[in-house]
Amino acid sequence: MISKNLLKEKQKQRTILINDKKPPRDLKFDPTKKIIGYLSQTMKFLTDTTVYDFLKMHMEVRGRHESEEETQRLIKKIIVDANTITGEKIKEKMNLLILSGGQSRALMIADLIYVSESPIILIDEIENVGIRVHNALKLLIEEGKIVFIVTHDPLLALNTDKRFVMKNGTISKVLFSVPKERGVLSYLSWINDYVLDIRDQIRKGKQIEELKLVCSPLS
Amino acid sequence: MKFVIFGGTPGSGKTSVIKHVIEELKDLKIYYIKFDVLKTMDDVLIREKFGITTEKGISGDICPDHYSVMLFPNIIKKQKDKDLVIAETAGLCLRCAPYVNEGLGIAVLNIASGKPSSYGPLLTHADAVAITKGDMVSQAEREIFRIGVLKMNEKATIIETNGLTGEGALEVAEIIRNMPETKGKLTLRWPMPTALCGYCYGCKIVDPIEANKRYLLAKKIKEKIPNINCGKCGFKCCNDFIRAVLDGEAEESRCPYLRKKEFKLANRAKEP
Repeated sequence: MISKNLLKEKQKQRTILINDKKPPRDLKFDPTKKIIGYLSQTMKFLTDTTVYDFLKMHMEVRGRHESEEETQRLIKKIIVDANTITGEKIKEKMNLLILSGGQSRALMIADLIYVSESPIILIDEIENVGIRVHNALKLLIEEGKIVFIVTHDPLLALNTDKRFVMKNGTISKVLFSVPKERGVLSYLSWINDYVLDIRDQIRKGKQIEELKLVCSPLS
Repeated sequence: MKFVIFGGTPGSGKTSVIKHVIEELKDLKIYYIKFDVLKTMDDVLIREKFGITTEKGISGDICPDHYSVMLFPNIIKKQKDKDLVIAETAGLCLRCAPYVNEGLGIAVLNIASGKPSSYGPLLTHADAVAITKGDMVSQAEREIFRIGVLKMNEKATIIETNGLTGEGALEVAEIIRNMPETKGKLTLRWPMPTALCGYCYGCKIVDPIEANKRYLLAKKIKEKIPNINCGKCGFKCCNDFIRAVLDGEAEESRCPYLRKKEFKLANRAKEP
């Protein structure tokens, strides 16, 4: 929903300029020219085709007509990287429609990195879809993307360099990551890993009888 | 006065897009008509929300696109004092989309329902294409869909819209502001499909001989009546009246022209 503040902004009829010029319409409407790639929780794949053919089709739409070997190499890389983000492995022969929520999201992220080539990525609350968000972030940052992430997950929020606090549709505060916060983060990460470890043990059918109480932020 | 027609399949989000566009064009005097087959409340909702003049056209047994085109000239005549006339089609048939050359045609396509290549003149003859529900699919699919739309209609202005947030409505409104005034006789960009068989006149028996019998009976009545779709008999058009006569639901005398003596005489003179 558009907040009241945003509506007020709209009524002021302000114009956004890029390099002192009104940006061309294409920049807003042609998704291949948009500099922001977008990924949300609700997105689904709807095309009835295999992962391989879909990626190939997207590469063609993006105007990348590489040799057959080059295409194959890139698609392999996309799938390998996507598989570091999701627990259940994606295979190139799989139909897009049978991919789980986590697999779809992982593939979308890898596609954003290697095919869409958008320098800025906006990620909207994807913590609940069962992907390894930290791996995804690592991959995105390694590829030089600027990542904006909307989240309620404290671990993810503390892991960023800069935090915008939103209130009534506008930025009310900008916070930078400080060393003390890093300490808190590493402690919370330890707890999180511990919970994940217990989850793994439960999955394997083990009885959980002991509680580890001592932990060190440095471990 | 400007005349804009919105086409698109049911559930594509036409009404939501139109609402946001009206919001952006509040400074204009707007008339809105919604065409549908059985019932609609959109005209009431839009009237209550924006306080503009609205109407609905319920087509019943007639093809809703044929029906809307029959009403267009009257609408244009009656709403001369308005700045903008918006017609929203029922959006059943991907073939017709009754866009007129003298106005603007906007196709509203739901990205989640089918490939662009399965659309007919609804898409190929539109000036602008508003793509809705893009937030439900991945960026890759949005890009692929857009190229698909351009393959069908390379001249169209494509706008990604969102019926919930109103994204894109400003741009659609901008296109409407910049379009020329609608003047003169309206002409269709694409002709309507041929509809001339017994089934068009309500034949229910699936049999070519029965359908032809019905067609010949209908033709006899059609030759007697004026075929100007005046509506004075209470039916939406002459063909609807013929159908009711054949079904035994109406007397021929319900047509005021058949009651008039002179008309009867003129008809008699026609007979050999």
